[in-house]
Amino acid sequence: MTDTAPQAAAAGAFAAPLASIASAAGSAASAASAASATPETEVLVRDLTVCFRTDRGEELPAVAHADLTLQAGLITGLVGESGSGKSTLALTLLGAVPSPGRITSGSVQLTGIGDVTRLKGAALRQVRGGKVGYVFQASQNSLNPLKTVGKQLLDLGRAHDVEYLPGLVRRARELCELMGMDGKRVLDSYQHELSGGMRQRVGIVFALVLNARVLVLDEPTTALDMLSQAAVLKIIGQVHKEIGLTTLIVTHDMGVVSELADRLAVMYGGRIVEDGPAEQLLRRPSHPYTRALINATARVTGDISRARALPGRPPDLASIPRQGCVFRQRCAFVMDQCATEEPPLDAWGGDIDNAGGSGRRRACHATPEAVIGA
Amino acid sequence: MRTLTRLLPKLAVGLVMIWAVATFTFFLVHALPGSPGDAAYENYILSGMSPEQAQAKVSSIYGFTSHDPLLVQYRGYLWRLLHGDLGQSISYSGVPVTHVLRAAAPWTIFPALAGLVIAFLVGTSFGAVAAVKRSSRWGGLLSMSGSFFAGIPVFVLALVLAFLFHTEWNLLPYGDTSDVTLTPGFNGPYVVSVVQHAILPVATYALLGYGAWLLTMKSSVISVLGDDFILAAELRGLRPRTRMRYVSRNAILPMFTVFALSIGYLLGGSVLVENVFDYPGLGNVLFQAIGARDYPLMSGAFLLITVAIVLANIVADLLYTVIDPRVRR
Repeated sequence: MTDTAPQAAAAGAFAAPLASIASAAGSAASAASAASATPETEVLVRDLTVCFRTDRGEELPAVAHADLTLQAGLITGLVGESGSGKSTLALTLLGAVPSPGRITSGSVQLTGIGDVTRLKGAALRQVRGGKVGYVFQASQNSLNPLKTVGKQLLDLGRAHDVEYLPGLVRRARELCELMGMDGKRVLDSYQHELSGGMRQRVGIVFALVLNARVLVLDEPTTALDMLSQAAVLKIIGQVHKEIGLTTLIVTHDMGVVSELADRLAVMYGGRIVEDGPAEQLLRRPSHPYTRALINATARVTGDISRARALPGRPPDLASIPRQGCVFRQRCAFVMDQCATEEPPLDAWGGDIDNAGGSGRRRACHATPEAVIGA
Repeated sequence: MRTLTRLLPKLAVGLVMIWAVATFTFFLVHALPGSPGDAAYENYILSGMSPEQAQAKVSSIYGFTSHDPLLVQYRGYLWRLLHGDLGQSISYSGVPVTHVLRAAAPWTIFPALAGLVIAFLVGTSFGAVAAVKRSSRWGGLLSMSGSFFAGIPVFVLALVLAFLFHTEWNLLPYGDTSDVTLTPGFNGPYVVSVVQHAILPVATYALLGYGAWLLTMKSSVISVLGDDFILAAELRGLRPRTRMRYVSRNAILPMFTVFALSIGYLLGGSVLVENVFDYPGLGNVLFQAIGARDYPLMSGAFLLITVAIVLANIVADLLYTVIDPRVRR
């Protein structure tokens, strides 16, 4: 089965954009073949490499040959340690790369828009906020401290040529109410008058008020206390379902995604090392890194000594191995092959009961049975 | 009403500060070595008088100076101060200090303010450009110009300007506030002459402040550019113009404090600037008062400078509450 199959089944409205995606993705057809199980695809990242140039002129990849598919209507969790490249990958959905990085290969196809990495100027501005909403890490202050939330909302509306601003305000109020806030009060407030959890929710309002279809949340619960975390997570799930979004949650916190995500992608050293349906992946991790991550998570119930730390430290840009598997230095399943050959992200049948339809992929030389069974 | 409740405590603090400075300068000035009589005496001896003649002349001129103990003098000073009386100048032979200051003040306040405003407008605009274009050659050149003018001592700058524009190219007049042959008043030739005479002092004040404004604005803009909300604004697709407005309004905030502080700095600088240009403003008066050990005039001039700084700080505080919602309470 190739990725041309779902296009035939896709609704008419999506047929044309998907055709353009297919040609762009042709070079990565083998890797893409696994992501073909669902009929509608909202975001298609293909063979994406983002490099940072050092003073000595070396090109260091923060994201290397990433393939990621966001299926319409699903919540995808992108998990990894700090420096794994997950935020860099998430930012490319808005055609943004943190300076001084640049995209050296690949594409990010948005349904109905095309390759955002090729957009510039006004067209790019319309995508940012208009089609893809980005919500910042909760600890970040994403609002201008000198203007009320409402005035910044109007700035947003004008930037996106909203013709009827009162309608935008009404929509923002509705979203506020949907998230359990007093819309009028919030719009009249300055950032410093809002709590951390409220700021986070206002960030979501700003991301969605222009009817973006794709919502990207970068570390949505970091720096929030446990109660606000739970509240924000609940709201994200609720909003996602009610508005019918395609959501990407970037996090280092397995707990966050295990509650919400339909699918998971695990990143390490700039590579996606495993992805698949969240439940399967959490229950039966098939990559040694995923396995180690899950084992390292302490649980509220059960024996705390069962949590096992992963030895070593994640590589930074300069120390990522140039050859072979990026995880081999910390891997419990390392073998000779790992030092010379980088394992490709290949489709894998996954659990028996889901054979063919699971869409699981893994990048490891060890057999899945060996990792799962260990 | 809320403005008033904010203003009153600030005014009270300002008054206390003025009192403290008045007290401090009173004792400091009296602690300076030498007395006005001694200074004059030395001058007469140097000009060839005999000791007896000089002594007689000194006692005839300075006979009215007080010989009371310092604390009694201080009490009298404060009492008179409350009535707006700063005492009599010694070197101007008994003319009230307020008269001397009132005559000199406009020649410092207007040129210094004009220079400050020019330096603020040009310096902050160029500073913002230098920050945004910091990796380009123009940005580098602007920053260098800032460091250059911030690093030059005032008197060197004033001397160079006087040398180039007066001595060398003879473009601008030098000394005094206007051509002495003209009758003061609101007539064309006199106004033109006043403006011409003011250009060099104003230019000196402006260049003096320019470097500091440019450099502080540049670092302020750079720090705001790195703020999360600016990245957020970009990723929400806000227009570049809107983003620049966000940046400039946030970056200009700390400049108001600098604005208030620089008023004091300028008044201090006026001593050197007016001395070089022989311009009869407060700085010159203060300079001569120090030379002649004219205590009342010195105290009066220092006090005037203090009041100006305190007022400027209060104004800056009030402005701050207008433009920064975080300090509104």
